[in-house]
Amino acid sequence: MIRRPIPRWLAIALGVGGVVLLLTAYSILSARQTRKNENQRVIPGWQTFKEGAARLVRPQGSAEDPQPSMLATDLKATYWRLFLGFFTGVALSIVMGIAMGAYRFIEALLAPVMSFLAKIPPTAMLPIYFVLVGTDQKMFTAMVALGVFFNMAQSIYQAIAGEVKTVSIDKAYTLGASDPEIIYEVIWKQILPSVLDNLRLQIGPAMIFLLAAEMLVGGEGMGFRIRMESRVLNMSVVYIYLTILGLTGLMADYGLLWLRRWLCPWCVR
Amino acid sequence: MYELEINHVSHRYGDYRVLNDINLQILPGQIVAMVGPSGCGKSTLLQAILGTHPPTEGEIRADGVLINKPSRNVGIVYQQYSLYDFLTAEENVAFGLKLDETSLPSRIFSYRSYAKKRQVHLRKAREFLEKVGLSSAMGRYPAELSGGMRQRVAIAQAFILKPKIVLLDEPFGALDETTRQELQMMLLKFYQENLKAKQRGERPEYTIIIVTHELNEALYVADRVIGLSRYHTQSEKGAMIVYDRPCPVFSPDDPRDFSKLVEQREELRKAVFDESYIKDHNKYVSFWSELAQDSQLAATAAANQPAPRRIR
Repeated sequence: MIRRPIPRWLAIALGVGGVVLLLTAYSILSARQTRKNENQRVIPGWQTFKEGAARLVRPQGSAEDPQPSMLATDLKATYWRLFLGFFTGVALSIVMGIAMGAYRFIEALLAPVMSFLAKIPPTAMLPIYFVLVGTDQKMFTAMVALGVFFNMAQSIYQAIAGEVKTVSIDKAYTLGASDPEIIYEVIWKQILPSVLDNLRLQIGPAMIFLLAAEMLVGGEGMGFRIRMESRVLNMSVVYIYLTILGLTGLMADYGLLWLRRWLCPWCVR
Repeated sequence: MYELEINHVSHRYGDYRVLNDINLQILPGQIVAMVGPSGCGKSTLLQAILGTHPPTEGEIRADGVLINKPSRNVGIVYQQYSLYDFLTAEENVAFGLKLDETSLPSRIFSYRSYAKKRQVHLRKAREFLEKVGLSSAMGRYPAELSGGMRQRVAIAQAFILKPKIVLLDEPFGALDETTRQELQMMLLKFYQENLKAKQRGERPEYTIIIVTHELNEALYVADRVIGLSRYHTQSEKGAMIVYDRPCPVFSPDDPRDFSKLVEQREELRKAVFDESYIKDHNKYVSFWSELAQDSQLAATAAANQPAPRRIR
């Protein structure tokens, strides 16, 4: 029957079962491919993964001048860019979204332009970033920040329009609120759950923009490594990176979900 | 001094005239019910008194202060959305005290003194919630409260700041009959407190305009009823106050006997809601002359036997 509840133990068992099923299917596929061609590297076996992982964590450089491993360099570069871009984009979009949601003249001035710019695929704007910002760290930050900014600012502005009733604002004035107090105590607190939900939704796109930029330019980072290794068919490294990316998204998602429960106990949905 | 004064207020939307020359004075401690057919301009008048939409002509003053934007002088309780979802019942009630008595910078930069004040605010909020019969729901969020509980919290939230006047905009419209009766009783209790304050020579705390479409409710909870309507001889100029008379005062212990309201209810229905009954708009506007008559009567009666017909 549709939507009939299942016991909790079964839900957990099925969840674990799904992961086991995925790994088993992979093992079978890999084994079959290896039977056809012993040197195949498209669906590598677990042994190849081990070798790939060992190569990733081996320190680089010479004994006199040791350098961090490939994995450490890439993770550091990618996560730093992601954090910097995401943080900048989100901070700007919160300011802009609230300004548009709170003041009619800012809304009238910026809403049409913003909705137009939000429709241009950020990856298609890469050439503009090359020309305007260059190809260094600033470009990656700008790419992620602006990619997140337009959508996020629009979502926040729409959340304010939909969730903050005019009567709530009028009511706050009758309770003696000033304009800044209405923005912080009424508008911000009311939309916080939507902001956190939108952050979760933006993590995926942010990673797409960053990885796309890294695949095109840059001498380090996960996108760059995936492109380089796939050229020489080192698929074990590629798969490891893909898994790390998936886990990163998953962890950010759960982190934000937890943050929402903690910060907005009033909003359970 | 009047708690609220409306002087020659007219309002138009473009060429359409909604309100025409509204004049109304409300004394401290009065509970005034406002009735009128839908679309007659009740909301427009309410928004003007609240200050969100000042009238195109005339002026409104609360305790002598001109109203041209919403302020803490005029409180409001809406039919819904009066509470903040993200605050618990007690925080909702304390919200006004927080906004009124502390500022955003002081809450951040002198957190310690704010925290002390906060304790006082929350204690006051809890005391008020106990008064409106909600001691069990202090820490719950609006989503966890029933409709009647939410309106009680909203009423506490509006009154805790002691505004000059509080507007109740169809406050019980969405409630079931039993809850509605309980909340009507609460207003009657407020009225009794007003009378006691007056006896002590203090300014009564609860001055109310309640908008309702239930005529029995209007006559039951209020001590004065006004009717807003277009059905008068100058109808094309907009709605006017066509009814303004005192009405019987019930005490919370009295039985809910509406039979003594029948006569006035019919008069009210005819004067305000009967489309075919066109009359001079002043025909039923007699609150002040009746009041003067009453005080004269009371003065004479005081000499013989102390029993004023109406308590106001």
